[in-house]
Amino acid sequence: MKLTKTKTFPYWKYIIVCLLFLVMLPLNAAGIVSGSTLLILGTVIFYAVVGVGMNILLGYSGLITLGGAGFMGLAAYLSGFCSTRLGLPFILCLVISIAVPTVIGLGIGVVSLRLEGFYLAIATLGIGEILRQVFVEFEPFTNGFSGMRAAYPKLFGIVLTREVTYAFYAIILLIVMILVHNIVNSATGRALLAMKGSESAAQAMGISLLKYKLIAFAISTVLTALGGVMYMHLIKYSYPTVWGLGMSLNFLSISVIGGMQTVLGAVLGALFVIAVPELVIKQLPVIGTLTGVAYVFNGLFIVLVLLFYSDGLIRIGSDVKKLVGKIRGKKNDIDQRSGT
Amino acid sequence: MTLTKEAVHKESPDLKEGVLLECRDISISFGGIRAVSDLTFDVRENEVYGIIGPNGAGKTTVFNIITQFYKADSGAVLFREANGNVIDLVSLKTPQVVRKGLVRSFQNIELIRDLSLADNLLVGAHIHFETSVFSQMLRLPAARREERVLREKAMQVLSFLGLTDRADQLAAGQPYGVLKKIELGRALLSDPRLIILDEPAAGLNDTETEDLTGLVHAIKKDYNCSILLIEHDMRFVMDICQRICAMSFGKKLAVGTPEEIRAHPAVQEAYLGEE
Repeated sequence: MKLTKTKTFPYWKYIIVCLLFLVMLPLNAAGIVSGSTLLILGTVIFYAVVGVGMNILLGYSGLITLGGAGFMGLAAYLSGFCSTRLGLPFILCLVISIAVPTVIGLGIGVVSLRLEGFYLAIATLGIGEILRQVFVEFEPFTNGFSGMRAAYPKLFGIVLTREVTYAFYAIILLIVMILVHNIVNSATGRALLAMKGSESAAQAMGISLLKYKLIAFAISTVLTALGGVMYMHLIKYSYPTVWGLGMSLNFLSISVIGGMQTVLGAVLGALFVIAVPELVIKQLPVIGTLTGVAYVFNGLFIVLVLLFYSDGLIRIGSDVKKLVGKIRGKKNDIDQRSGT
Repeated sequence: MTLTKEAVHKESPDLKEGVLLECRDISISFGGIRAVSDLTFDVRENEVYGIIGPNGAGKTTVFNIITQFYKADSGAVLFREANGNVIDLVSLKTPQVVRKGLVRSFQNIELIRDLSLADNLLVGAHIHFETSVFSQMLRLPAARREERVLREKAMQVLSFLGLTDRADQLAAGQPYGVLKKIELGRALLSDPRLIILDEPAAGLNDTETEDLTGLVHAIKKDYNCSILLIEHDMRFVMDICQRICAMSFGKKLAVGTPEEIRAHPAVQEAYLGEE
């Protein structure tokens, strides 16, 4: 019996994206790409990690959170605290900084059984705000408005440089994308989509809504927390007001613009929301020089993308393929008619 | 009084020989309205059993009670599992029912638009996937093997339905007749002992209904299960069912063979109106 899925290696696109990020390093060494650009691209990388988590939640499971920034900040502060104040090795900081927010995330998963749509959105917004206020008030831990400092990751006793950290992050993104790709193409992924598409059908087929909402929130929170740890050890500074609704809404934009029911869409979305204002619009002659205008234009682009590419920018790939196919088809017609 | 083995056995629910499902005195009210009143009927092994009745008679409500989408206010839903054990489904949560061998389809097609037809069928096989999320995430050999085996099973059902060429097409945008077939096919993936179909012929034309009749016959033969269905298409029902239960206003009017039901005066009055 012929199987429907052919046995090709499905991870090429993720590897290519990772390589495109890595190629910036030699370009940086050669002076073509500036250090600040490298920093922005590094930011894109960890926002993409969070974006993949948002895609699982929003695109595959039909669940929403507007409190993501709170969890990312919690992980950032935890990792900063564990590495700087407690001197723990990076891996241990990573585990603690992911575990704590995920436990809270599981709590939200339980709540999501009772709350849907807008109500869930508002509830998670509330939790995000509570966390942000905790960052402000809990000064012995977070250092309040003075901010918390951290260093690049310390692996095997060696503190990494900015460049090595960037490369490390690109590899983390690759691993995350591959693992999440596996999940969404498995029975778990189908169960999440079934839960999103029809809760009745899902239950009739034996899918426990509680179990899969917990899985969705667990995966999403783990990735958000991972992004927070990555933030802390690249930006090396955390300030309470950063972790507000604005950032949570950025996560939403990244997910929706890139293509929320894909894995790679998160990278496109992060490039668009984070990199384009800084690297493209601010470089433009008149527009780029006026403060804040970059973000106005970015907002405009977001609206345009949603109007014409509501499935996400990732659809550009298939649209280009179709266009190429059409051009080839027309060329074949012309050739046939002229008898060549 | 000492508890003899006999006495203990009498405490657990009991079904007559050859009976697969029995609804015993089930009742449910919504607000002030008694939707189903003391309904009792049974479905035997390897039987096609139909429930008919005017709209609002409570047929889908009965299905929801059986499949634990609603909890009956009173009564029992007794089911004989593959191992011979008889359980009262009322003690189960909704997602647990299919694991006992009882699966349903929906009146309004509840397929997943974002999934392909093959993947929609694989959702029906969900209970057979035993590997953990971690195994699937890391694509460990056990997870890969499970996926391959169950995907083959889905392809077999697609072939049975005559839809192999549409395997990788998304459910979104498929013609209605195809969706109806997949809705039916999905139920087969769970290895059911009893398939509950809610208006499987709704919206189908004469040719498609004939196709469906052939399909139901083939299912009963190849999959060795019973089928319980609700239908309004009288020709289809009389054609395919061994026994029929006629309902009206939440109560049972009559049970019998298609001929007996057709001739029954109370059924004629409720369903067809007085002559």
